[in-house]
Amino acid sequence: MHSTPQQREGRLLLAPLVAFLIVFLSFPALVDIVYALSDVTFQTMRAPQIVGFRNFGVVLADPEFWAACWFSLRFGVLTAIIECGLGLALAIFLSPIVSRHGWTLALIMLPMMVAPSMVGLMYRLVLHEFAGPLPHYLTLWFGTSPAFLDANNAFWTLVVVEVLQWTPFAFLLFHVAYISIPAEIREAAAMDRATAWKILWRIELPMMKATIAIALGIRFIDGFRVFDNVFGLTGAGAGGSTMSLSIYIYQSFFKGGQIGQAVAASVLMFLASLVVLYGAAVLKAQLDRRRMAA
Amino acid sequence: MAQITLDGVNKVFGKNTVIPSLNLEIGKGEFVVFVGPSGSGKSTLLRLIAGLEETSGGRISIEGKDVTMTPCGERGLAMVFQSYALYPHMTVRQNMAFPLEMVGESKASTAAKVEDAARVLDLTRFLERRPSQLSGGQRQRVAIGRAIVRNPTAFLFDEPLSNLDAALRGSMRLEIMKLHQQLESTMIYVTHDQVEAMTMADRIVVLNHGVIEQVGTPQELYERPANLFVAEFIGAPKMNRIGGRIAAAMGAETIGIRPEHLRIVEGEGTWQGSVELTENLGAESHVHVLCGEAGSLVVRMAGAPSVKAGDKINLSPAEGFTYRFDHEGKALR
Repeated sequence: MHSTPQQREGRLLLAPLVAFLIVFLSFPALVDIVYALSDVTFQTMRAPQIVGFRNFGVVLADPEFWAACWFSLRFGVLTAIIECGLGLALAIFLSPIVSRHGWTLALIMLPMMVAPSMVGLMYRLVLHEFAGPLPHYLTLWFGTSPAFLDANNAFWTLVVVEVLQWTPFAFLLFHVAYISIPAEIREAAAMDRATAWKILWRIELPMMKATIAIALGIRFIDGFRVFDNVFGLTGAGAGGSTMSLSIYIYQSFFKGGQIGQAVAASVLMFLASLVVLYGAAVLKAQLDRRRMAA
Repeated sequence: MAQITLDGVNKVFGKNTVIPSLNLEIGKGEFVVFVGPSGSGKSTLLRLIAGLEETSGGRISIEGKDVTMTPCGERGLAMVFQSYALYPHMTVRQNMAFPLEMVGESKASTAAKVEDAARVLDLTRFLERRPSQLSGGQRQRVAIGRAIVRNPTAFLFDEPLSNLDAALRGSMRLEIMKLHQQLESTMIYVTHDQVEAMTMADRIVVLNHGVIEQVGTPQELYERPANLFVAEFIGAPKMNRIGGRIAAAMGAETIGIRPEHLRIVEGEGTWQGSVELTENLGAESHVHVLCGEAGSLVVRMAGAPSVKAGDKINLSPAEGFTYRFDHEGKALR
């Protein structure tokens, strides 16, 4: 095989990236696969015994795994939809202010600057049944306060906390998409007798469609794999009520010492996300083909 | 009868007066061109008529009805924008159907009108395409189609050809003129290009700093410019201006002679000079001549230049084509 100088140069320039991927991705991936197929604890980490797919069977038969999956899915979908809905509404309503006074953007971005685990810890204090200021004042003013962190309410408390922290992210994406719609397009629509409502639904939202899909996707992924703020706020929660998939993996790894099962669960999570991504890609290709045919 | 009347219309942005009080009447079926350099307020004036900007004072009426406070959609006007402003997520058909859909026109009648407009503009083959799949000229035609389907009282064009290359600009210019003959509707057209203004307009409105310098037919503007600004703006190459003693001798502050009215003469001429450079355009040539007191003059001659750089030549103005202006730039007649 002959290769042109350009090809040789390309390979040379690619080499560091390939080395990086081998060192930082394939080594952990290899270890992951071996552990997932082995009986392994902290004591036997250097000498895993291959046991085939037993770990996967154990994980799939574990009701806690399915509960954690359900929690993560519900949490991911709900927070993604609420964050994007709020972010979109804010981006549209605040755009006259934000585009005129750029500094207000920094104000809106503030929640994103706080580390999620800190957010978890902060709300743990603020909402604490005995020590927290919020339950204290609610009891003082209304005579009663909901138990924010008990098994019934913890899920919704977490949803609100997540939404408060990450709506600004969705807002930022939508703000950029909204202001990048040319003014002349809105003016043309106004000349065409479209009302403000019609302009929003028929012109602006369709033009922001790609951004909306991306924002929903990113926020779903972030919500689905949620760990730090949930861990800081409620841990696995009362009776495992707030055990996300990440927390399930963490707990069976570090607390249960069942490394094989924990890694098997993570492999399952990886496979599930691959299926979802592949499905989305196929769906998009089909839609594109249908559009081209039309 | 005037169809669109501007009565004392003015526009102020903050402390900046863009258009001082201005009066203008536009007749039914007229093709009026607003022309002027950038910053002359021509686009602002068009946007005031369209209703995309609010007036700071004065009255705008269309067909005898005061529309000063009427929102832009309800003035019965259609606008073609410089950037075309097509809806990128819609097909050509959907783009052209949009204004009809907004007024609740029936599906059948919408389809018929879109097909008609597409036929007129030669867009039938492209109806299912998206704007991104079209060339600049095709996009411009879609924008015009979107305006036509509404059957508006008047069409407003905001520098519609300035994003096209020169060849396409020429052919689109003809298409718009043909469209005007076909539809016989009022058109207001904004441009900074005096060639577009001269070739297309029934009447030209020359604007400078928001003030109307002159309104008239292309011929009037060319033959009897009201002032130095109009005289220099209309015609290419620009009118030669000569000041000082030569102008004073003719009882003016400045005199103007168009390049086509200067002749290179054998023997004694009015002015002597040396050729600086020549521009050969094929059908005509522009000769730049440095003449002592008269300054630098441009002569337009048919065909290839008969002189070359460095030649000493004599120039004479054609009889009766010298324009005289006073110290304010006003024409002296």
